Amino acid sequence: MSQSSTSQHVHHWEVSWAPMVATFGILFALPLAFSAYFVYENTLLTVIFAGIGTPMMLAGIAKWVSETLHEKPLIEGMSPVGLPYFIVSEVFIFLGFFVSYWAMRLSAGNAWPPEGTPEFNTQLPIIMTVILVASSITYHVAEEKYEHNDFPGFRKWLIISIALGLIFLGCTFYEYNHLLHQGFAPSTNAFSSIFYSITGFHASHVIVGLGVFIAILIPAFSNKAHKSLVFCGGVYWHFVDVVWFFVASQVYFW
Amino acid sequence: MSKKSEKFNLSEWIFTTDHKRIGVMYLIGSIAAFSVAGVMAILIRIEQSSLGPTLAADAMTAGQQYNQWLYFHGAAMILAFLIPGLTGFAANYFLPLMIGAADVAFPRINALSVWLFWAGIIVALLGFVIPDAPDIMWTGYPPYSILTGGNTAFYVFTVHLLGFASILGAVNFLVTVIYMRAPGMGWNQLNMFVWSTVTAFVIQLVFVPVLAAAVTMLLFDKYLGTHFFDPSAGGDVLLYQNLFWFYSHPAVYVILLPALGILYEVVATFSKNRIFNYKAAVYGGMWGVVLISGEVWVHHLYVSGMPDWIRIGQMISTLLISLPVGLLAISLFGTLYKGAITFELPMKYAVSCLFLFLIGGLTGIPLAITALDLHLSDTSFIHAHFHYIMGIFATFSVFAAVYYWFPKMTGKMYNDKWGTIGFWLNFIGVNVTFMPLFKIGVDGMPRRYWNYEMFPQFETWHYIAMLGALLVASGMIITILNWIMSAMNGKKSVDNPWKSKSLEWTHTVNPPGPGNFLKDVKVADDWTPYDYGK
Repeated sequence: MSQSSTSQHVHHWEVSWAPMVATFGILFALPLAFSAYFVYENTLLTVIFAGIGTPMMLAGIAKWVSETLHEKPLIEGMSPVGLPYFIVSEVFIFLGFFVSYWAMRLSAGNAWPPEGTPEFNTQLPIIMTVILVASSITYHVAEEKYEHNDFPGFRKWLIISIALGLIFLGCTFYEYNHLLHQGFAPSTNAFSSIFYSITGFHASHVIVGLGVFIAILIPAFSNKAHKSLVFCGGVYWHFVDVVWFFVASQVYFW
Repeated sequence: MSKKSEKFNLSEWIFTTDHKRIGVMYLIGSIAAFSVAGVMAILIRIEQSSLGPTLAADAMTAGQQYNQWLYFHGAAMILAFLIPGLTGFAANYFLPLMIGAADVAFPRINALSVWLFWAGIIVALLGFVIPDAPDIMWTGYPPYSILTGGNTAFYVFTVHLLGFASILGAVNFLVTVIYMRAPGMGWNQLNMFVWSTVTAFVIQLVFVPVLAAAVTMLLFDKYLGTHFFDPSAGGDVLLYQNLFWFYSHPAVYVILLPALGILYEVVATFSKNRIFNYKAAVYGGMWGVVLISGEVWVHHLYVSGMPDWIRIGQMISTLLISLPVGLLAISLFGTLYKGAITFELPMKYAVSCLFLFLIGGLTGIPLAITALDLHLSDTSFIHAHFHYIMGIFATFSVFAAVYYWFPKMTGKMYNDKWGTIGFWLNFIGVNVTFMPLFKIGVDGMPRRYWNYEMFPQFETWHYIAMLGALLVASGMIITILNWIMSAMNGKKSVDNPWKSKSLEWTHTVNPPGPGNFLKDVKVADDWTPYDYGK
């Protein structure tokens, strides 16, 4: 089959430096900096790696977001259908931790919780649940404002959601601090290991969610927003919310 | 081709978000990992070719370096060559072409995947630079992986980076196939390769995260002092093995399915024949494998200690997987039936794969049966079994893919003479290497031992295996050099040299430009990629 070369090259080769720069940022800031600090105990090298990696990571993400807002790529509008698939894999990471927890706990029988576990404060997780659910609702309101092109309202409710998310994180750090003072550190026993892993992993999702919100908020000040990003940020946030029910019920109230 | 398009533009390659170029970057990375891990394999064979230290002055060094080679060979071959070679390279390049799409659903995430894959390879290769290279196989079982002086963190980060790349790839390709098929293309008109990658990506999406969780716990246990796998503080040491194989057994189907998918394409094209039992193979075979893949992992733990009722249950579910795999095998052999078969180079690899598939598959059956497995577990028999099915079968299918689509990717034809020489060296070499291992495995040769002075009767067989490995090495060098030389100065190829009916051959030029197709692709209701009039 023969085709003329001119029509073959109607499009140009699409390029973006964002993925590559972000990846090498991740490589330096996480694996290499972690190894420098925990494996080779070299603080200088850690600072250097983190110093190289963090700006690269941020630059990559910033470029990526700005391309999403300003460019018209060959393929677009697929994010809303893609996100659920990604969330499936997230669910399975959480399941990996939860199943480990269940396996340990069920095989331990009466020997649970292991020695060194203090009494948990059960009021705080209830307050945290209320805060997180509230933030899901406020984000939903923000989305509705966005759909009616009400940018001042959109910004207001988005900022409220971000504030609630930050309060939630504050509660987590308050609780960690409190538990550490009681001598309940990640290295105390198997329950402390799983406790800090699951709640910490959830908290890292809250941080990512807040990062997405901020990436939505900054362009919103100049009355710009990307529809898919607003939608996906919401779906992700609701997912983080739902996961919290499992975290709270399994870790605190069982 | 216009002059402008032939000019090589480095930044257009490095920063590319085009699925074809990303596919080529996957190919280069996975072949690089394959080459280094292949050197490790040769070193392992040479070390075992005689009793006592062969490649080191003293036993201490010999054992240590042997363990480090085992680690790199296993981890790189599986995680950085086979999985990215099949689901990274082959799926990236050909899947969008086969379904008539202009690109994948998320081109920039695709670029992120390939760079994460490269970052994973970089971390794995850094193992050669640091003084304390990992020495924990590709499995990383605690407590050894936690107690060792080797750098377990690099193992964990390699898994993290490659795993993240896999998950993003899975999301990307599933969305691409579900939402971006050409108008008119129904589910029963997809290429077998497309179906095989879809099922492989479903497995990736669900199981990789669990491995990520498991190795994260390993990292925390070793470097942050947690107690996930420490029974003295309430942890569970077998938990890791369970989590690890919960991913890693399905991972063999992540390799097997796309490898079979490639064979279907090659066999159908060179037999000029329809796919025998298409629906049974897709819905019964491939999806059957997906369905059962998550319920068989405990057969890797037969000797780790468990109640008999679990052993027997796992034996049954493991044997059940021969049903879908059997459907796939019947369909593959049936595709040859009454075909107009020609033995071009890709077909030579494909037919040899059918042979390797049978050897590797049938030797799996005794391993599934607990009564036999208690004897065969951790012997060379297992070693030979999974090298036949995973190692060689899957590698040969990658080679079949590279040769089959070589004209598509480069616009040039490979050198048939050197390719054929490479093929025979490879094929004879692998059998000379691994057949003896079945025999000495049944006789009781333990796997993973660098020294077997207590079993001097196995020395001759190990020596033969080493000679086989050298044959393979020469075949591989010839094969890879053939690709490089032919890609640079091969003869120009016509657009559809195999007269295939599949979209990637019929609807676009060699190699396709940006956007893949000149016009939007539409297919008729009765179109199939295997419409050879039979």
